[in-house]
Amino acid sequence: MVTDSYLKALVWLVPLLPLAGFLITGLGRKRLKGHIAGILASTAVVISFVLSVILFFSLRKPGTEPLTVTLFSWITTGELSVPFAFLIDPLSLTMMLIVTGVGALIHIYSIGYMHHDERVNTFFAQMNLFTFSMLLLVMGSGYLLLFIGWEGVGLCSYLLIGFWFKNPDYNYAARKAFVMNRIGDLGFLLGIILMFFTFHSLSFSEVFGKAATFDKGAPVITAITLLLLVGAVGKSAQIPLFTWLPDAMAGPTPVSALIHAATMVTAGIYMIARSGVLFNLAPVTLTVIMVLGLATAILAAIIALKQNDIKKVLAYSTVSQLGYMFLALGLGAYSAAVFHVTTHAFFKALLFLGAGSVIHAMGGEQDITRMGGLKTKLPVTFLTFAIATLAISGIPPFSGFFSKDLILAKAFEHNLVLYVFALGGALLTCFYMFRLLFVVFFGNLRSPEVHPHESPRIMTIPLMILAVLATVGGFLNMPSLLGGHSGFLAFLQPSTQSLETGELAHSTEWGLIFLSLALLGTVFWIAWRKFLKQKHIPEKDDHTLNLAGKIVYQKLYIDQIYAFLLEKPYSWLSSFLFRKVENQLLDPLVDGVGHLTSELGTLTRRFQRGNLSFYLFAMVAGILLFIVFILFV
Amino acid sequence: MKLLILLFLPLFAGLLLLITRKYRFSGYLAPASALISLVVTLMVISGVPSGNVSVDWMQVPGVRFNLQLDEISKIMLLLTGLLYPFILLSSWGREQTNQASLQALLLFSQSALTGVFLAGNAFLFYVCWELALLPVFFILLLWGGPGRRSITLKFFIYTLAGSLFLLFGIIYLYLQTPGLHSADFAAMAQLQLPEKTQQWLFWILFIGLAVKMPLFPFHTWQPPAYTTAPPQGTMVLAGIMSKMGIYGVFRLLFLVLPQGVLFWQNTVIILGLTGVVYASVIAFRQNNLKTLIAFSSLAHISLMVAALFAANTYAVQGVLFQVVAHGITIVALFYLVMLTEEKAGTSELSGMGGLKISAPRLALLFMLVMLGGIALPLTSGFIGEFLMITGIFKVSVWFALAGGLTLVLGAVYMLYAYQRAFLGPLNPAPEHKGDIISRDQWWLIPLVILILVLGIWPQPVLNLVLTIPELLRPLPLP
Amino acid sequence: MNEITSAIQIIPLEHYILLSIIMFSIGVLGVLFRRNTIVILMCIELMFNSVNLLLTAFAAYHSDLTGQVFVFFIMIVAAAEVAVGLSILVMMKRNVDSVDINQLNRLKW
Repeated sequence: MVTDSYLKALVWLVPLLPLAGFLITGLGRKRLKGHIAGILASTAVVISFVLSVILFFSLRKPGTEPLTVTLFSWITTGELSVPFAFLIDPLSLTMMLIVTGVGALIHIYSIGYMHHDERVNTFFAQMNLFTFSMLLLVMGSGYLLLFIGWEGVGLCSYLLIGFWFKNPDYNYAARKAFVMNRIGDLGFLLGIILMFFTFHSLSFSEVFGKAATFDKGAPVITAITLLLLVGAVGKSAQIPLFTWLPDAMAGPTPVSALIHAATMVTAGIYMIARSGVLFNLAPVTLTVIMVLGLATAILAAIIALKQNDIKKVLAYSTVSQLGYMFLALGLGAYSAAVFHVTTHAFFKALLFLGAGSVIHAMGGEQDITRMGGLKTKLPVTFLTFAIATLAISGIPPFSGFFSKDLILAKAFEHNLVLYVFALGGALLTCFYMFRLLFVVFFGNLRSPEVHPHESPRIMTIPLMILAVLATVGGFLNMPSLLGGHSGFLAFLQPSTQSLETGELAHSTEWGLIFLSLALLGTVFWIAWRKFLKQKHIPEKDDHTLNLAGKIVYQKLYIDQIYAFLLEKPYSWLSSFLFRKVENQLLDPLVDGVGHLTSELGTLTRRFQRGNLSFYLFAMVAGILLFIVFILFV
Repeated sequence: MKLLILLFLPLFAGLLLLITRKYRFSGYLAPASALISLVVTLMVISGVPSGNVSVDWMQVPGVRFNLQLDEISKIMLLLTGLLYPFILLSSWGREQTNQASLQALLLFSQSALTGVFLAGNAFLFYVCWELALLPVFFILLLWGGPGRRSITLKFFIYTLAGSLFLLFGIIYLYLQTPGLHSADFAAMAQLQLPEKTQQWLFWILFIGLAVKMPLFPFHTWQPPAYTTAPPQGTMVLAGIMSKMGIYGVFRLLFLVLPQGVLFWQNTVIILGLTGVVYASVIAFRQNNLKTLIAFSSLAHISLMVAALFAANTYAVQGVLFQVVAHGITIVALFYLVMLTEEKAGTSELSGMGGLKISAPRLALLFMLVMLGGIALPLTSGFIGEFLMITGIFKVSVWFALAGGLTLVLGAVYMLYAYQRAFLGPLNPAPEHKGDIISRDQWWLIPLVILILVLGIWPQPVLNLVLTIPELLRPLPLP
Repeated sequence: MNEITSAIQIIPLEHYILLSIIMFSIGVLGVLFRRNTIVILMCIELMFNSVNLLLTAFAAYHSDLTGQVFVFFIMIVAAAEVAVGLSILVMMKRNVDSVDINQLNRLKW
């Protein structure tokens, strides 16, 4: 068994390696030729992953004390004392494994995907910076450290969405993402500050220790958790701050896979799961999370039905799946949410990478109406994409089935209506995913000018590994129903403090599973009939659509509504304040003082005309007045 | 002795520079003087005994030439000492008419500013306060851009009028001191004026200070002045002179009129927060990069004032940290704006675009400094803003929300400006003059490193301000 | 000296004062109402002399020489003043070809 100090050294090496990779590839971006930067960056993340695995096996035994590694004291003033320290417990280990594991695969994939880009070295530097920030986020031992990573990943997201900076639309998307995240971050920061004044500490252990002294439903805890929720809503793209995520698809596809599917957007879920102790004390907040999550899940799924951009479909699907995770959080099933984060990281990263492979093969084409019949041209991509589709649709024995079923079961325990809506969302997911699969890979190729070819090995191997993970990932948490003992949930329980709920009877669970499977089968059949049998091709533009279809196609006009309600008035306000208030109110007020002096001068000048008789007269009159004053007053 | 060196070295260096302007070595004089000042400053700050200076100055009782050094002065000295080398170096090798005179004037302003921050006597303080204005006035008038005459006149008269209030307040305080009267800050701090007096006297002094900062709504001289001034003038104005007002609040309000401060606390906080939102919103649609940064500076200063009047330990420490952080950031930012203007041939954002293609290093440095400006964690801006917002939060959640809006609105206008200047397709209009030369790069990199180091390891500066609550004892900081 | 003093004292002091007031008033009114600069200068001299008369009269009555010394002093000043005044007058005549006081209204910014 390895010693403690040895482990501690490993802990700080985990984030340090991507940081070093960032510095080397970033500073040497002019000199590094060919694949060197990509290999360096990937190696850093791979080693981090290996270290995380070692840490995992050293600390996985139940009852192991969490490991805290303090590097140095960051801010110390008054009561505020924030050490730069890492906390390694089951939850952070899980997230570290996802970040470095999936991250490493995506890095390797990017070597192939990005090799012809002229700024490939910058790309890898930023990817490494992202990995570093994300690791800070999940490893930090307190809220302020989490916040560093939180903003750091926001920055990397901004940089990478706008990676192709010559396109103004991409820059707009990048700015939109950053600003919307910042809105959430403001709430998060205020939550942190309120937490500090409530608990006089920001480290997880002390905050959670002191939280035990508060009653359930204490207003201050509710306030803190609601503020934290604002942050999570921004980062994890929930209603109302979700519109940035679909736009974020402007970035290179590996970025979408790593940042906007597998890791960064799940930071909000991580943060709430981490704060389980606090959220358990705030039932109101939990209800809000539940409602938001469910609404987001269904809304995004509806929008995804009509999208024709392969990445947009996946983006809305991500938003929808994040909604499911929020639903789980809202039900107090934090571990279940993290479980879905894990399986989602596998299959959604796979979907995005597969989409990347398709786009790569199609020469940059993203419109699914111009694809088709790629099944034979891209066999590996097709197979892995199909596995991911099965997984996300929740079809056993793929991983998505286990995690989604867990959430559905929790919803059923809580409330039947909740369950019905959640199940409805799952059916929509199944429909739009199979629509995507059928339209892209079956039928005939609809753009004859391109000659698709399978991607190189370096891209397909990560696909295959992810496909294996997406297939078997669910077995991590084999429910007792199938003879397992929910190992994943038990492992996480010390970190997340999920609310315990009564077990459903096995017969009920079987019933629910069969019900959902039957419905999924029906939906699959509808999609199969429509897109495979009838060879229905999605409408290219919204002219042929009916009203409802048009609204969905236009993403419910939410972007337009935001533009109308926020962007335009803000822009107008900016001009108004400058033109009217600054230049026509405040400035003239100041100038007015000058003008007043000037006017007074003009007035007194009248008496200084140079008329000597008048001067003499005034002088004599003055003297007389003076005499009269002295003599008679 | 060391304090005297700090005070007079730049003055003598400036005079020497004027005399020897024809010789070749004169170019090294200004940076050398600034570097020596920096070294001495660091020695003084790190606690090397620096001796006291106290000489009777005039035949007026209590008007003395005495220098004092406490933690607030140290922060301000650090700011001055740290920034002047870069301000002077930024003009080094540039094609500016009569560069020796410009550098001499800059050195004079350094002397005067050092005097403001070291003065232990209110009259010495006032004299230096006014003296600091003179070099900047000439810098603006002689090296300024279009429309400099009217703008300089307005700047000068406005700030001079503000100073008049200040002078009135100082004389009033002087006359209140017991015995033969004394204008020493120490004696003024002993005064315990009646509450009513403190309440009205507060505004007399505060308006004088607020014009200098400037604080909404006394700010209208600032955006045009920052825009018109030559880069070095803007750096001095935005980096250091704007902090004079904040320093004055400590010296003359917190220590002398604590009751007045507490009475008007909320009013000033609201003014400050209004300024934050007002300036941030306006900055969004500015087309001139310099004006935009000027408004951003206005927003930052406003937040500092709001936090200052939150008057609790976190806020005050945050403000003092931010004084240094903002100084570094804004000087680097105006340096970069100068370079951008040189490269694009205009400071109008509509004439830029795609500069990242022709000047990638400039774009990268701009991005890094900008991140400090929008308070990203692990940059110096975050530490200051976090502490300030924490302090404001203690007064009211809503105030903290308004102050925190700077995080969002700052990102909105800065990223928009960055996009318009550097991203997008290459604007064909300007004649692109390539990337920045390595000399400028080597001056800028230390600034960027400072921004990062202060964000990662802020403790050295924070330690300087740890004893602030004891220093400000008249005002019980919660 | 004594004869002169006694001769002066024959006339009561009130008469001197009255004469002075009349002379002074004539001077003032002349300055106010005449436009010819030469006349104005002469009127100013008239006022001076009324004061001088008063001073000598009082000096005689009080047997104090100080007043008479003052008179000499004033005469010298008056002489200097006339010199300056007349030279201004000459310049004025040369420049505007007039000695009308209202022609001087261009003496302003």
